Amino acid sequence: MLRRLFQWLDERLGLTTIHDVVLDRKVPKVNWWFTLGSASLFLFLLQGITGVFLTVYYVPSPDHAYDSVQYIMNEVRFGWLIRGMHHWGANLMVLVVFIHMLRTFFYAAYKYPRELTWISGVVLLLATLGMGFTGYLLPWNQRAYWATTVGTEIPGTIPIIGPFITSVLRGGSELSALTLSRFYSVHIWFLPAVITVTIGLHLYLVIRLGISHIPDEND
Amino acid sequence: MNGEHKQRYREKYTNAKQKGVKFFPDIIYKDLLVAFGLFILLIGLAVFVGVPNEPKADPNDTSYIPRPEWYFLFLFQLLKYFPGQIEWIGTAVIPGLAVLALFLLPFIDRNPYRHWSKRKLALGIMGTVVVGIVVLTLLAAFTTPPQPEAAVANTLREQIALGEELYALHCVECHGIEGEGGEIKGVPGLEGVTLKPINDQDVMYPFTDETLYNIIAMGQPLQGMPPFGRAFGGPLSPTEIEAIVAFMRYTWDDRVELPEEETVAAAMPTLKEGEVPSYDVHVAPIFKRYCVSCHVPGKKNNNYLMRTYEEVMTTGDHAPNIIPGDLGSNLIRMVHREEIEAGGPMPPTKALKPELVEILERWVLGGAPETAEQAAQASAKGAPLPTAAAPTEMP
Amino acid sequence: MPNSPSLTRRQFVTLVGAALSAFMGTLVGLPAIGYLLSPALERRERESWISLGPLDQYPLNQPTLFTFTRTKKHGWEKTVTSYGVYVLRTSPTQVRVFSNVCTHLSCRVRWDEEAREYICPCHDGHFAIDGAIISGPQPRPLDEYETKIEGGNLFILLREA
Repeated sequence: MLRRLFQWLDERLGLTTIHDVVLDRKVPKVNWWFTLGSASLFLFLLQGITGVFLTVYYVPSPDHAYDSVQYIMNEVRFGWLIRGMHHWGANLMVLVVFIHMLRTFFYAAYKYPRELTWISGVVLLLATLGMGFTGYLLPWNQRAYWATTVGTEIPGTIPIIGPFITSVLRGGSELSALTLSRFYSVHIWFLPAVITVTIGLHLYLVIRLGISHIPDEND
Repeated sequence: MNGEHKQRYREKYTNAKQKGVKFFPDIIYKDLLVAFGLFILLIGLAVFVGVPNEPKADPNDTSYIPRPEWYFLFLFQLLKYFPGQIEWIGTAVIPGLAVLALFLLPFIDRNPYRHWSKRKLALGIMGTVVVGIVVLTLLAAFTTPPQPEAAVANTLREQIALGEELYALHCVECHGIEGEGGEIKGVPGLEGVTLKPINDQDVMYPFTDETLYNIIAMGQPLQGMPPFGRAFGGPLSPTEIEAIVAFMRYTWDDRVELPEEETVAAAMPTLKEGEVPSYDVHVAPIFKRYCVSCHVPGKKNNNYLMRTYEEVMTTGDHAPNIIPGDLGSNLIRMVHREEIEAGGPMPPTKALKPELVEILERWVLGGAPETAEQAAQASAKGAPLPTAAAPTEMP
Repeated sequence: MPNSPSLTRRQFVTLVGAALSAFMGTLVGLPAIGYLLSPALERRERESWISLGPLDQYPLNQPTLFTFTRTKKHGWEKTVTSYGVYVLRTSPTQVRVFSNVCTHLSCRVRWDEEAREYICPCHDGHFAIDGAIISGPQPRPLDEYETKIEGGNLFILLREA
């Protein structure tokens, strides 16, 4: 019975092909540094899950953002755990993604034929930093407020177009409810969408081209 | 990279793959273990380190030292080296070029070799950049001045306690200890003005939290109440004003009840028969609530300050105001509402509750100990009770 | 090749993977359930006596509406809930107090002076002056509050879930 169900699904989904292509593929012998990519993916998924949970109670408005975070931390059961994991997951993810990039650089894995994998990786690194930057404001506490004030001030120093960029980032000339809601939107919709699509491309390339091998002295 | 190099690489890679392993299980098991390790680390950080609590954003707090997340610190630090007119080199040109270089790396680095020994230039550049980032981050971390401490409350109870403390510090002088109002004494400019109570339904019912917040923040200039919000030149942050509002609401509004039964006032520790109170445990809370609002520098108080044990015992124009073991001490006589050389009845507007006066008497009689241990030693020796000693009527 | 070493290694990794995933899933999943259910699990029953003012101000045999509000904290916000009760003084010393919430679907009933009935506007429920059902879909008579009279003042016992 189970066998027939599997066959029925396999015929339509191509499970065997997926198994052969993804799981059963041969890859060069590599070391532990090569786990950083999957570790980044794992952290991204965890961030996604804890992030979705946080939106259950979080309110992206200056009136309530701080209070709703306090509520999550102090009154919701295990709210402190979910937020704690999201908070530390963000820090860890930046670290892991960065080291992943350094490893790729060290083993020259960005060279032929993996140039596109590298470029999509750079997009992912920047998007991760963007997630960190936009997420930082959301608790609407002193640290968040002032870090974002300074952070959005930085592009304002560019001659001519700088002030315009700052007001686009902030949704106005100073930090306000508009800043908070656009950061929130970017944090939970725009950047995750970019990251998801780019991870898809990244993984497709990794599977298609194979994991790079560790170069020996003749390479 | 020319065709020949490409060809060579493909052969080499096919070869490496053949000598390699299956993705499942050889690679997956490592991924699994690392992911699990990270997960445990994450849970550990969430459970044992947690997320530090911060006060609510206050756009008017000019004393706050802004700092970005640690992973942007290097950028932040970099800006220090590009002052004034050339700042945009640090803010836009360098980061922009760095990102561009990162994107175009596969096309900039045309070196066909892959082993580190044949890529010393590339690795050298990247190494320098990484070291630079680390150094800048550390520099920024070590040159950050410590943040001035700010009041934060985690739970509603903490918030109410904070509000009570702040109320005692900033509001009691005019509005009275229980918000009962009355005639103001000893406040320059408002001497003799009579205030209506703020602790009854007439205030609590029509005024929402928002209204109360705004009154405290902006003051009532026409009635002589100064603004207390930092945005209006006062001393209090939004978090602090919200705490005061919460304190008022949960203490005086008979429509709202504390979610938990325990009331804030019950926080006062009880004293056993014959136990000598200590400054730290019993006396400081009384002083904090009833005295400190006036007995701080800059108020009319004959230079008697009451913020610490040291100050309580030594300051004042008529020091010492407390003589251990002597119920004739100025402080004791004044809380008994006597008019003496050192001053009039204290607190000026309303007598202390008898049980609080008793705590002060027992404390002075027991030798005015500072810490709980000293008080315990005094208790062991058998402290005299106020009733047995000379009563309040002193010549 | 059921017994080839590579297969058993695979089985081992699958097993370990399943175990670790189950462990992580439980460690996050169970708290997550508590997290989601949290507000529903908060059960703070409150009982309080609400003053309705001097009994003498209520006319005899004439249901009189009294409204009051209660403030409750929901998460990060305080919500004000209005309550309406009909006070029916049956004798100079006796009084009954009914909730104006229809027992059918919680619409607010109102006292109709001409018909001398409480009428629910939603599904045309009719209640007698003592709260009993006359007609309509409602399952039970109007809810009645416990009352007490202290010093001439009327109080009702309000139970909030």
